[in-house]
Amino acid sequence: MALLKLEEVTKRFGGLVAVNAVSLEIDAGEFVGIVGPNGSGKTTLFNVISGVFFPEEGRVFFEDKDVTRLPPFKRAPLGIGRTFQIPRPFASASVRENVAVGAMFGVLGPEVNVNESLKIADQIIERVGLQEHRDKQAGTLTPVEKKLMEIARALAMKPKLLLMDEAMAGMHPSDIDGMVAFIKNLARDEGIAVVAMVEHIMRAVVGMAEKVIVLDQGSKIVDAPTKQALEDPKVIEVYLGHPPEE
Amino acid sequence: MKKDTGKYLPLIPVFAVYLVLFLMGKNMSGMWQLMAMLLFYCALGQAFNIFLGMTGYVDFGYVAFMGVGTYGMALSIVHLAHYEVLGAWVIVIGFIMAILFSTILSLAVGAVALRLRGAYFAIATIGVNEGFRFLIEGARIWNGSEGLIFMGELNQILGREAASVLATFWADVMVLVIAALAAAVTLVYMRSKIGYALTALREDEDAAKVMGINVTKFKIVAFVTSASFAGLVGASTWALKTPYVFPPEVFEIHYTIEAIIIVLLGGAGTLLGPVAGGLIYGLSKYYLSIFLPGFQLLIFAPIIICIIVLFPEGVVGMLKKRLRDTALGRYIV
Repeated sequence: MALLKLEEVTKRFGGLVAVNAVSLEIDAGEFVGIVGPNGSGKTTLFNVISGVFFPEEGRVFFEDKDVTRLPPFKRAPLGIGRTFQIPRPFASASVRENVAVGAMFGVLGPEVNVNESLKIADQIIERVGLQEHRDKQAGTLTPVEKKLMEIARALAMKPKLLLMDEAMAGMHPSDIDGMVAFIKNLARDEGIAVVAMVEHIMRAVVGMAEKVIVLDQGSKIVDAPTKQALEDPKVIEVYLGHPPEE
Repeated sequence: MKKDTGKYLPLIPVFAVYLVLFLMGKNMSGMWQLMAMLLFYCALGQAFNIFLGMTGYVDFGYVAFMGVGTYGMALSIVHLAHYEVLGAWVIVIGFIMAILFSTILSLAVGAVALRLRGAYFAIATIGVNEGFRFLIEGARIWNGSEGLIFMGELNQILGREAASVLATFWADVMVLVIAALAAAVTLVYMRSKIGYALTALREDEDAAKVMGINVTKFKIVAFVTSASFAGLVGASTWALKTPYVFPPEVFEIHYTIEAIIIVLLGGAGTLLGPVAGGLIYGLSKYYLSIFLPGFQLLIFAPIIICIIVLFPEGVVGMLKKRLRDTALGRYIV
């Protein structure tokens, strides 16, 4: 059983087809990279999966349940968590409170009270290494710290599927390596399927993804194990242009 | 359970201010009117803060809830006065009706308008107050524009003496109790999941949604709570203090503006903010109108601008930031 299944999903904005008949499957605990140039429909795809937009055509299944028209706040408790391309902290609240919100309304939501949520938040903050900043206002963090906090916030939801939108954009290469190792360990330990979306095929994806899905102009052009995907002529064409004519 | 002991400490400064206001009014001659006015502004701010402060949504029709609350009390007195068995319980029923009226109106308004975002919500609510006023006047509901006058009924229920003490003393005490209750409810919300959800949606509604927060539900919770306190304030300060109701007086947008100023001056979303805002606003208004009659608004406007520029997060918002890591910080939220 696939954890997440998309069937021929199409999302249009007026005349623009942002996502064009995309089907894909993601298994539990799998690490998938979604790559594609700017404007290829990656973020729209994420928005369809997390419920921000409903698709015009096609269906979305999560654990065999049809969630195509489920509002986002009902998807989070099922186990769909996400981070944003540009971090969106609850700026006036402390880091601890931000992360606790994840625990309160995520998968654990109905079972935990405020104090328990704060305790969960403390554990996760320690795990991502933000303990020094625990009581700071989230708005005062540096961009990298904000990204870490967003990941912590999503993890506190105890997701089964974590969608990471450009989680490592703008980070220093040495930080990226650390982050990749961290996310990979975490996903393995907790059995979370991670779908990481990046604009460029960079080593982050190569380093962690078992599978790569390549989007171009809204359509899926490649869906294959990482190595194979990177050597695919269609992928090379998307990124480097047509091979020279003979 | 060690953490829990400090949970409700921040109510101490709030209640202390209310107590001081009460004692000053009671024991210093000629001060009661001023103290009552300050308490009214604190109560108004404390009630409005539950919605404006905690959700960040501006409701320009807020005074309508005070208006229908006033009508709830007035109608109870007018219609129930001749049932002698009820006695002073009529007042209690009046408060219940005030809550009922303001809850129903806020549910009706909220269910529609709270699906709108930010500025669109604010625009949608401007019509509520004026619309409701014209509905009462035009359709001649509740005696239309002639209003309700119930001095006689009040005297009949309580006796002339008691009715007069009610108007000059107990009505103000009730405002104090309502303000204190609103503060307590604010803190209970802040410490519960409701408060976390409201903070999240105030800061970023889309992020809150994908984190599993049913934003419309929590906005309605804050809206209805805030509206019922407004109804109570209206019922005690307008119906009991002045035993008559005329639509143009209770549906006066001026009070909404005052409530917004109080909440923003003091610090939106803070517990002590409405108290500070109510005191600053009430005192400036009172003394400016004594010392510079006719010019009070001219002087008052720059004062407000200065405070907003100096403390963009309100007086208490600034204090809270400064005292974050000190021992006093525990008392100010």
